[in-house]
Amino acid sequence: MKDELKAVEREAIREIKSAKDKDALEALRVKYLGRKGVLTELFKKMGEVPPAEKAEVGKLVNSVKASVAGALDDGLKGSSGAEEALAEKIDVTLPGRFSMPGKIHPITKTIGEISDIFISLGFRVVEGPEIETEHYNFEALNIPLEHPSRDAFDTFYVKSRSGKYLLRSHTSPVQARFMEKNKPPFSIIVPGKVYRPDATDASHSFMFHQIEGLVVGEDIKFSELKGALTIFAKQMFGPKTKMRLRPSFFPFTEPSAEVDISCSVCGGEGQKCSVCGGKGWLEILGAGMVNPKVFQKVGYDPEKVTGFAFGMGVERIAMLKYGINDIRLFYENDSRFLKQF
Amino acid sequence: MLISYSWLKDYVDVKLPAEKLADLFTMSGLSAASIKKTASDQIIEIEVTSNRPDWLSYVGVARELAAITGEKLKMPAAPELRVQGPGSRVQVKIEDKKLCPRYTARVIKNVKVAPSPVWLKTKIEAMGLRPVNNIVDITNLCLFETGEPMHAFDLDKLKGPEIIVRKAKGGEKIVAIDGAEKALDESILVIADKERPVAIAGVMGGADTEVSDSTKNILLEAASFDPISIRRTSRKLAIATESSYRFERKVDMENIIYSSDRAASLILEIAGGEPGELVDVGDKAPAKKTVSLRCSKLNKVLGIEIPQADVKNILNALGLGVKTSSSDKIELEIPNLRGDLENEIDLIEEVARIYGYDKIPVALPGIVEQPIRRPVEDIIEDKTRSILTGLGLDEILTYSLLSKKLVEVEGISGDDTVEVMNPLSSEQEVMRPSLIPGLLNSMLWNINRKAKDLKLFEIGSTYHKDGDDKFAEKITLSVGIMGQASPGAIGASRLCDFYDLKGILETLFRELGINSFAIKDTNDARFSASSRASIEIDGKIVGVMGDVSSRTLASFDIKDKACAALIDLAELFKHAVLEKRFKELPKYPSVSRDISVIAGKESTNDLIIDTIKKTAGAILKDVRLIDRYVGKQIPEGKASLTYRLEYQDPKKTLEDKDILDVHSKVTHALEAKLGAKHR
Repeated sequence: MKDELKAVEREAIREIKSAKDKDALEALRVKYLGRKGVLTELFKKMGEVPPAEKAEVGKLVNSVKASVAGALDDGLKGSSGAEEALAEKIDVTLPGRFSMPGKIHPITKTIGEISDIFISLGFRVVEGPEIETEHYNFEALNIPLEHPSRDAFDTFYVKSRSGKYLLRSHTSPVQARFMEKNKPPFSIIVPGKVYRPDATDASHSFMFHQIEGLVVGEDIKFSELKGALTIFAKQMFGPKTKMRLRPSFFPFTEPSAEVDISCSVCGGEGQKCSVCGGKGWLEILGAGMVNPKVFQKVGYDPEKVTGFAFGMGVERIAMLKYGINDIRLFYENDSRFLKQF
Repeated sequence: MLISYSWLKDYVDVKLPAEKLADLFTMSGLSAASIKKTASDQIIEIEVTSNRPDWLSYVGVARELAAITGEKLKMPAAPELRVQGPGSRVQVKIEDKKLCPRYTARVIKNVKVAPSPVWLKTKIEAMGLRPVNNIVDITNLCLFETGEPMHAFDLDKLKGPEIIVRKAKGGEKIVAIDGAEKALDESILVIADKERPVAIAGVMGGADTEVSDSTKNILLEAASFDPISIRRTSRKLAIATESSYRFERKVDMENIIYSSDRAASLILEIAGGEPGELVDVGDKAPAKKTVSLRCSKLNKVLGIEIPQADVKNILNALGLGVKTSSSDKIELEIPNLRGDLENEIDLIEEVARIYGYDKIPVALPGIVEQPIRRPVEDIIEDKTRSILTGLGLDEILTYSLLSKKLVEVEGISGDDTVEVMNPLSSEQEVMRPSLIPGLLNSMLWNINRKAKDLKLFEIGSTYHKDGDDKFAEKITLSVGIMGQASPGAIGASRLCDFYDLKGILETLFRELGINSFAIKDTNDARFSASSRASIEIDGKIVGVMGDVSSRTLASFDIKDKACAALIDLAELFKHAVLEKRFKELPKYPSVSRDISVIAGKESTNDLIIDTIKKTAGAILKDVRLIDRYVGKQIPEGKASLTYRLEYQDPKKTLEDKDILDVHSKVTHALEAKLGAKHR
């Protein structure tokens, strides 16, 4: 009897494991555990078992029943793998279902990247109006109204009663606006749109973006300007980037510098590089120590505070960073362009 | 300014090849833009910043080079002229001393006007000018050499002869040497003879009195004019000359006599003639300024220690004389040609420039504690960008300036449009009063390039007049969609419609923590009457959305359907809640029950949901439309709507009996209040 029970158990488990589907499993349940099932029939033969073995055989019958029932349940839950084996194979090379992700405009991205670098250096983001006054755009920045230094800042004017309103030609007016309302020390960056009446071509646009930086405090030095810009250049264009400062002139900074980085395309090595024209250097921004005259105009004492300022064209940085060769692409919003960033 | 490599060597020894010289210029502040090779020379183009008019001459550039390299400056000879007998002179009168502080005139008689010798022609041509005759070429040569613009008149054509420096009278005219007649007015300074203007002071001479082949006697002018007046005149008459360029930037008064002597001696040498006395009217050169420099300040500003001796050497080499010096402070005498050196900081810059910016160390700036790092508006803008790009929209950036024609399209602008006074083209006539033209133009650009499935947004300002001298810039969000709803999907396709746009906006609002918004009917003419809505937060309209009206689309040449929305971002800034608070998860499960009704058009979704919520009360956790069917078996004008109601009790697991009552109340209310029959 005991041997018979064990044989039934083995056979039942084998059959359950090779069952092809739910119906087959149901049939096996009936075959073994049903009212006329194999195990039920065997149980009926308990009477023939000698009394001494009855308890032992009884236990065995129960354990075999439990094990068969368990195997059936497992099979139904699918752990037997029978159904997966049966399913038709899919074409894994068909395209995935997807929704096209949208893209952030490369100018916004570039402003974000530049801002993040300066924010990590402790700078604060500040903004200002695009429709400005002559005062903030020029005079407050030590640019006399009728002076050749204004030639670099050809300007759109808007119709107004006083005739003194214009579209800011740089983000620097925000320097004066901020200083009038705040006391040093501070470090700010000012991103925003600026406008200049330039005929549009591959490298000129009548509207573009700038980021201005201004740091003012008791003991701000030219060497720190170099430090901040070095960190910026390496973070933005890679750790191997070299930087140089050339003397220049801006009415609102003194000493003033044009800042070049080693060509991000040829690394300063390419004799025929089309990006740097073989010069090895790319001009990326203007900078300098804040002219004491600018401090005086906002009521700061230039004997007590010093500062540095810098300004860069975002389009230019983005063009260098992404290898874009035509500034007009930024404003055409061609989706083939936008999707690349 | 063009610098001929070989010509420069007349004034200073140059040991570097042209390319290295150009680099040296660049690193000293005379940015070299290009080098052009000619048959026998190399021409370096340098960009002279507006603070350094002294660099607008060979002598000036040579002086700088001498200071950097330690070579000696070789000034061109200007020997004293021997005036024979009483000599001839003309009367000179300055009527406006502010606009003309000094005027000198020298008569030279019996010159022989002829083509210039080859060496002179070569130099004039190297500067990109056309040689005229020996007299004119010499005045041009001296302009480039010394930086002082000069002019030669044909003495015999001057009435009087006399020179009056005065403002032009209304109605006066002059034919300038470019052959064009210029109308003059009282703001313009002229050189006149007894009867009429003979030159536009500092800008251009007159054709009547110019030196020609038949000229025998000349009058050589060397003068100083007010920079602002010259700049105004040059702009007003639209004439920019080598002369006006220099006078605008201020010429050195001390240089006048020297330059006049230099030109006269060259004229005598090349064209012969007998010089008269120099008539010199007006102010003499001003006294030299003194500016002091503290070495402690210099070191503090630059972040470096430069020994005082080195500081003195640098400034001496630049022609600044040390007047006195103590342990810290140096007093320096500034030559008149360096009008840009007025304050201590100017001297600090000079020292830094010559010492070399590259030798100044690199230091880390200290970090200052500041109230905020990024304005909250900026953070919300960025969050908006990330939500919208996550929903598949591309960010666009469009010009803030537009043509008038585009904003005249119905509803685009009000009467507060900001106009540009000096546009370069018709594309820049006004500041955009709306983001719609930019959005539709971007759509058109893509449609024309066969890309018609577009989901775009822009965050930018619109500009408005807010009184006579006041302007407002309103930060706005525009969203526009057209074409396939899911262009990436395979199989059945569907075009974008109002509800796609609405879904985008609802997601945006919810993600920004704004739940109290409503989309309501509106009659905004920019959108089509069938599908348009206003967006309200707490009862205030913050935006508008819908299918762009076919008239508006036609104005932009767009033939396909497009949906757009405009939202006042300043309002979103006010209502957005970015701070998150955790809410306890419910302990007991919710139970869902569906209700299907047949409802007419008057029973809007909002009305039905409102009725369900009010009837069900607090036990209802959520309700939403899960199916909408119009068609067979449904009476015309009606729709079958199925809502899923989710009930939940925070204190126990709900059973059928708990909700049976509420659910049937809801069913009855829908029928009783809205006539929406249970199905």
